[in-house]
Amino acid sequence: MSEDFERRVATALRAPVSVDARAKQKVMERVRRAAQQGHPRRRLDPWSRMTRHSIVGLAFAAGIGGISTLSAILPAARSDDSRGVSSVVLGDTVVGALHDTLRLVRLMFDAPSARQVAITGDFAPSSAQATPLERDADGRRWSVTLALRDGEHRYAFVVDDTRWVPDPRAERSARGADGRLYSLLNVARAAN
Amino acid sequence: MSDRAIIHQVLSGDVEAFSRLVDRHYERCARIAVRILGNREDAEEAIQDAFLRAFKALDDYEERELFSAWLTRILVNQCRTVLARSRRRDAVFPDLDPLSFDFAVDANAGEGAWPELEHALAQLPDEQREAIVLKYGEDLTYEAMSKITGAGESALKMRVQRAFARLRAILQEVPSV
Repeated sequence: MSEDFERRVATALRAPVSVDARAKQKVMERVRRAAQQGHPRRRLDPWSRMTRHSIVGLAFAAGIGGISTLSAILPAARSDDSRGVSSVVLGDTVVGALHDTLRLVRLMFDAPSARQVAITGDFAPSSAQATPLERDADGRRWSVTLALRDGEHRYAFVVDDTRWVPDPRAERSARGADGRLYSLLNVARAAN
Repeated sequence: MSDRAIIHQVLSGDVEAFSRLVDRHYERCARIAVRILGNREDAEEAIQDAFLRAFKALDDYEERELFSAWLTRILVNQCRTVLARSRRRDAVFPDLDPLSFDFAVDANAGEGAWPELEHALAQLPDEQREAIVLKYGEDLTYEAMSKITGAGESALKMRVQRAFARLRAILQEVPSV
C-alpha cells in the first residue's frame, strides 16, 4: 500500500504541466536583450576553465582602469607570467594590482545553503562594517572584491549573521585579540 | 547535438543556439517550478530568470557537471527567491490568500493527474516540497539533490520521509505495516 502511494505520488509529480507556447519566446527575447548588453561575459584567458576563478579579479580590475600587474603574494602560490601580466592563484583567491598601494582581492566562499555571507577583518573591524558577499549565479559560491593595501590582513566570514567562519582556503590563521580565529592574507607587490 | 556542444556554439557568438537549450529543458523546469511554487505565474517568472541567469553565466558553467543539473540548481535558487518574496508580500498583505495554487486545474491533465496531491503539496514546508519534487518528480539521487540544494544527503532523506508522512496524513492514506 505504501509503495503504491509512493508510486502514485511519483507518477503525479512526473506528469507534465502545460506550458504557454509564448513562454519560451519570452525567454529568448530576454536572452537577446542580454546578448546586446554583452552577455554572456567571457573570461579572458583560456586556461581559466581548468583553474576556476583565477580570472575574476583580472576582469574586475580591467573594468576599473587597466592593470600593470596582477599578483598575489601568498605562500606556495603559483605564478604564470606572460609579458607584463603575471597572475598567481592560490585556491580561489586572486590579487590584482589596482595602483601602487591598493590591490584588488577577490575572495570566494562556498556556502550554498547560506542566506547571507559577509566578510569582516582588520579592514572592517566591527560586524556593522562587514562587507556583504554576493551569491554567484549558480547559487553555491559567494564572492567579494576588496581593494586592500599591501601587507597582512586578518579576516573571517560571517554566515547568516550568526556563524563565524575562517576562510577554509587560507593557509594560515591566527587568533585575534577578541579570541576569534582569523584567516591571514598577505597582500604585496609581485616580485617581478 | 549535446548540451555542451550547444553551449560552445552560444559562447562562440551564436545566441540563437540558446533556444535549443530552452526547448530542451523548459518543460522539465516547468514541472519543477510549478510544483515547488504552486502557481504558473510565479513559476514562469522563476524559469525565465533561471534561463537568463544561466545564459549570462554560461561561461562559468563547468563541463564536469551536467547542464541540466546546473540549470536545476539555478532554478531551485530562483524558486527560493520567489518564495521568499511571496513570504514578504504575505507579511505585508496578510489578507491575501498565500496558497493560490492554480496548476492543479489543468484542462489537459492526463494520466497521473491528482489534484488533491497538488493541494497537499502546498501544505508542506518549502524544503520538504522541494525535496519530494526533486526526488520523486525528477527521480534524482540524493547525491544529485545535495549538489542542487546545498543540503546534506541525510537531511534530504529526512525531508522526503517527513514529506511523505505529511502527505499521507493530509490525503488520509494509511501506511502499510
